[in-house]
Amino acid sequence: MAERNQVQPDLEFVKGVMEAGGDTVNRCYQCATCSIVCPLSTDESPFPRKEMLWAQWGLGSKVSGDADVWLCHNCGDCTKYCPRDARPGDVLSAIRINAIRHYAQPKALANIMNSAGGVIGTVITSMFAVLVVAFLWSLYSKEAFPIPEGTVVYHKFLTVVPIDALFLSIAAFVIYVSMKGVIQFWSDISKGAGLPVSFTGKAPTPAIGPFLIKYVWPATKEILTHERFKKCGEVAERSTGHLWVLWSFIILFIVTIIVMIQADVLGILFPDAGFETPLVQYHPVKIAANIGAIMLIVGIWMLRNMRIRKTAEGTITSSTQDWILIWLIFAVGVSGLAAEIIRLADVAYLAYPVYVLHLGCVATLFLSLPYTKFAHLLYRGTAYVHERWARDVKAGKAGFGLEKMVTAWQYEGKDIH
Amino acid sequence: MSKKVGVYIYTGDGIAEALDIDKLVEVATGLGIEIVRTHPDLYSPEGAAMVKQDIDNEGVDGVVLAGISPRYEFKILNFPGVMVEKTSLREMVTWSHPVSADDENAEAKKEHVQELAEDYIRMAVIKAKKSNPVEPFKAEEINQRLLVIGGGVTGLTAALEAAEAGYESILVEREPELGGWATKNRKQVPVGPDYSELIDPIVQGLIDRVNASDKITVKTSTEVARVGNAPGDFRVSFKNAGTKSEWDAPFPLTEKEKLDESGNELSAEDQKKKYDEKNEGRRGYMEEDPNAEICGAVILASGWKPYVPEEGEFPHLAWGNPNVITNCQFEEIAKNGKIVRPSDGKEVKSVAFVQSAGGSKDDADFPYASVVTSLVALKQAKYLREDQPEDGKAYVLYEHMRTSGQYEYFYQGLQNDPGIFLTKGDVTEVKDNGSGGLTVNVDNTLIGGDISLDVDLAVLATGMVPTTRDDAVVNMAYRQGPGFRDLDLFGGYCDSNFICFPYETRRTGIYAAGAVHRAMTMEEAMEDAAGATLKALQCLKAIDEGHSVHPRTWDFDYPDFYFQRCTQCKRCTEECPFGALDDDEKGTPKLNPSRCRRCGTCMGACPERIINFKDYSIDIVGSMIKAIEVPDDDEDKLRLLIFACENDAYPALDMAARKGLSWSPLGRIIPVRCLGSVNVAWIKDAMSSGIDGALLLGCKFGDDYQCHFVKGSELSERRMQNVAESLASLGIEAERVKMAQVAIDEYDQIPEIINGFMDEIVELGPNPFKGF
Repeated sequence: MAERNQVQPDLEFVKGVMEAGGDTVNRCYQCATCSIVCPLSTDESPFPRKEMLWAQWGLGSKVSGDADVWLCHNCGDCTKYCPRDARPGDVLSAIRINAIRHYAQPKALANIMNSAGGVIGTVITSMFAVLVVAFLWSLYSKEAFPIPEGTVVYHKFLTVVPIDALFLSIAAFVIYVSMKGVIQFWSDISKGAGLPVSFTGKAPTPAIGPFLIKYVWPATKEILTHERFKKCGEVAERSTGHLWVLWSFIILFIVTIIVMIQADVLGILFPDAGFETPLVQYHPVKIAANIGAIMLIVGIWMLRNMRIRKTAEGTITSSTQDWILIWLIFAVGVSGLAAEIIRLADVAYLAYPVYVLHLGCVATLFLSLPYTKFAHLLYRGTAYVHERWARDVKAGKAGFGLEKMVTAWQYEGKDIH
Repeated sequence: MSKKVGVYIYTGDGIAEALDIDKLVEVATGLGIEIVRTHPDLYSPEGAAMVKQDIDNEGVDGVVLAGISPRYEFKILNFPGVMVEKTSLREMVTWSHPVSADDENAEAKKEHVQELAEDYIRMAVIKAKKSNPVEPFKAEEINQRLLVIGGGVTGLTAALEAAEAGYESILVEREPELGGWATKNRKQVPVGPDYSELIDPIVQGLIDRVNASDKITVKTSTEVARVGNAPGDFRVSFKNAGTKSEWDAPFPLTEKEKLDESGNELSAEDQKKKYDEKNEGRRGYMEEDPNAEICGAVILASGWKPYVPEEGEFPHLAWGNPNVITNCQFEEIAKNGKIVRPSDGKEVKSVAFVQSAGGSKDDADFPYASVVTSLVALKQAKYLREDQPEDGKAYVLYEHMRTSGQYEYFYQGLQNDPGIFLTKGDVTEVKDNGSGGLTVNVDNTLIGGDISLDVDLAVLATGMVPTTRDDAVVNMAYRQGPGFRDLDLFGGYCDSNFICFPYETRRTGIYAAGAVHRAMTMEEAMEDAAGATLKALQCLKAIDEGHSVHPRTWDFDYPDFYFQRCTQCKRCTEECPFGALDDDEKGTPKLNPSRCRRCGTCMGACPERIINFKDYSIDIVGSMIKAIEVPDDDEDKLRLLIFACENDAYPALDMAARKGLSWSPLGRIIPVRCLGSVNVAWIKDAMSSGIDGALLLGCKFGDDYQCHFVKGSELSERRMQNVAESLASLGIEAERVKMAQVAIDEYDQIPEIINGFMDEIVELGPNPFKGF
């Protein structure tokens, strides 16, 4: 006899979903209209019908093992057509928010990052940390604090070394927390997809070479072009805004790396070779940076407008978490651009505070990555990769003798509808 | 008998163009009719005035209106004291038999159509001549009080509805207190908007209103021993609940009991002996109880009892384990306080509500499961959540979740509770989990695959068994027995089966309401009670005026028995679908006109032809058959007689004609009250007149019967088989008599049925008796 799944509903999980914006979850009566109208749902593993019932039944482990939740881009088609107004799109959003919190460590930081007050507090704290570092730096550089004299040049206030000291430590922490979450997520969704488990109980992973070539690269290509996101007919505009924001982050990331290498490495090694910041306005890197900044602001503004409109229409519901991310990114973009403009205008008493604000916002955005909705970058990206990997494993194309399935959730001879 | 008949021929609607009206007038004149008139607008006030003038001035007391189908009522053409016979030239002749001018056989065809019209004139004239004026049956005194059997929500509502309409009632309840099952609930399913939440029981409010009413006499701890006589004058004998009484209604012998061990029918004396043994200590059903209370009509609202599984039933659900209980037992526990486990009294935290008993075999629900069992499961799931708001878990495991109509809101409301978990699935096993609770295994769930649940308690959704399944309850002292006859067909529910006739039973004046009718919620039961009460009052009104109840509500006629020639064959008493006939010791029938629905089944049954109506008799129809002109020697002019049931078949013919469908012009249609009223004598008349075939068009019969008189078409089928056999012995092919079933909406099949039969008759050739 096939192994039976002992079901023990977790009432707290249901309540958690309801509190996170999925308060309509119990209205679902399993007609599966949502799975039919969803432009992204696949025949092999249709969603969100099953996720609705799992959430109703408080089956937390089942939901967390479900990669399909992350394949949804919340276009709102399901919500629009749901005959019971159960709003599956909102429920999936709520499930995702809870999943992010589930994987986030420490929980205290997750709680802070998921409230508007906590985020503002973090920005202020970060600004304070920047000021402390800048004060300490001023003792070394002998520049005046907090407003250095002469034309506005931010590295008089803080050069690259102390900034790196601050940001690279945040980055290291964020990367550590993110990797931990992603690895656990990978293991959970492997189990959820019924992939075999090794003797040590670990989910299988491909070797690094094939992993990058066969799975990560195609997934990345799909993400960079938003191929799947564009299928969400209801929100074409949203995918455009999102694409702008994504590309601006990539541009800004590259620019930052270039500047970091130039200023932090080459600038220190060759102090007089002209690597110091700021770069002149016609420098290609500077031009790219400015384009990136404007794309970021325009893109996030498009997302904001879309969200306001779609919320008013009732297609989607917007939670605090949604707005925190939008306004945080907006603050990063606007404060960054403002810092540059004020610097060029040479208004010292405004420039340095705005610069501190910008650094505070950037630090908060960095730090929030594994804790807020921003983490969709991690988990959706992972789900995209895992989807390809799981398909190959199930088709027996993954190599190393994984053709025979070990079933955990899917029982032999029974279809999951 | 009409002394002076006037014939009025309608010439509008294309009739004058299609027929030779002068020849029609000639035919009527040839029948000795002095007054024959035509009118292009006969059904108008002018036409009516023309007829009225003849009635007033010429002494016309029989009117033949030849034109529009008799199914159209023109009130201006009703003349009190005058027999009006309507025959259809429009639908049955011209519309259904159009002849195109460029048809090469137009002349021959026109001749057929003309002959058809002429025959209808002849038939109508003879009918008008032979019909007698109808005298309504008037009972001496009509009691206006209702007897309501059952003091639950339905009975209470029925009595209150009657009181509000100004009628008195006697409310009988077997238990010492009023209220029935409704008093045993902790809370109940809502009875009105917004339907989303449980409400407190409403029954006490009804009880208070009943107690406060001066029109309602309440008898608790009482049962009905017998209900005798007829509506308007029911004689009701009461007895203390649970006791025996000499006035208990006697049971007739069943068909099986009438046979001896070898399967032969017992002699009349032996049957009598067996009957007496069976009913020892009971007075004969015709005897009158001097102490009986008199009531006009009866509402049967005796409700339901819980289905209690037998020992060993549902072994896969561990029936017998103290923690596996029925929904009624769960209600009892919930009513007494917090829900506790029967095995050890521990507070219950989780319950599995098992809705279906099919297990791995099929998706069958429990016997008598219904909308109510679904709603009750949701309601009781909420009880658990009320008792254990923090961590109570109620699982509703269903194959079918029935929350019809507005109750969808109830389902939605209950579903919003995060502690109520619903899934479709096959409950394959319930077993002891070894730690005081139960393990419930469910296969094929919506969650995906097979699951297993640990619960404290399992509740089986066993349904509501109608009290009429095992008990006659109403206990009629009737020839055909104390209960309703067709309970087997409806699983014990006393339902009428005809969707058009809610509340009706097969006993006039007795109306079923509430859970005895079908499993229903209190809201539905209250509505049902109101409906049944109004039907009962309508019945009293009908009896008062002397006409029939549904479906021949306008009919004042009733059968008349010529007892001198009765042979006590008992066919009429046994075949009457409504048990209207009683009999005496010898078996001579006694008609109770107010129980009679005027279908004429007795008339069709009588071999002695002694049962007749005033305007519908063996002689009248026989004369109509003989009035049909049957050419002796013309093989192109065969004749087909069609008896069409007035309820469905004749309307279907009308509709077919209206839709422009056409059929053989050789058929002559006679509308009949019911195929059950077709006496085999008419078939013999037809065959001896040289008519070549007889077709009976009637309602569908069988389990999903549509017969307005329940058994008419079925009886007819049997009788026609018998008559065909006896015809065969005379050398007439049995195939010349045929019965066809047609539903009212199957008008499109009419041409095929008639023409198909006509082809069969052509194949057989002319009636061998033709010309004798």
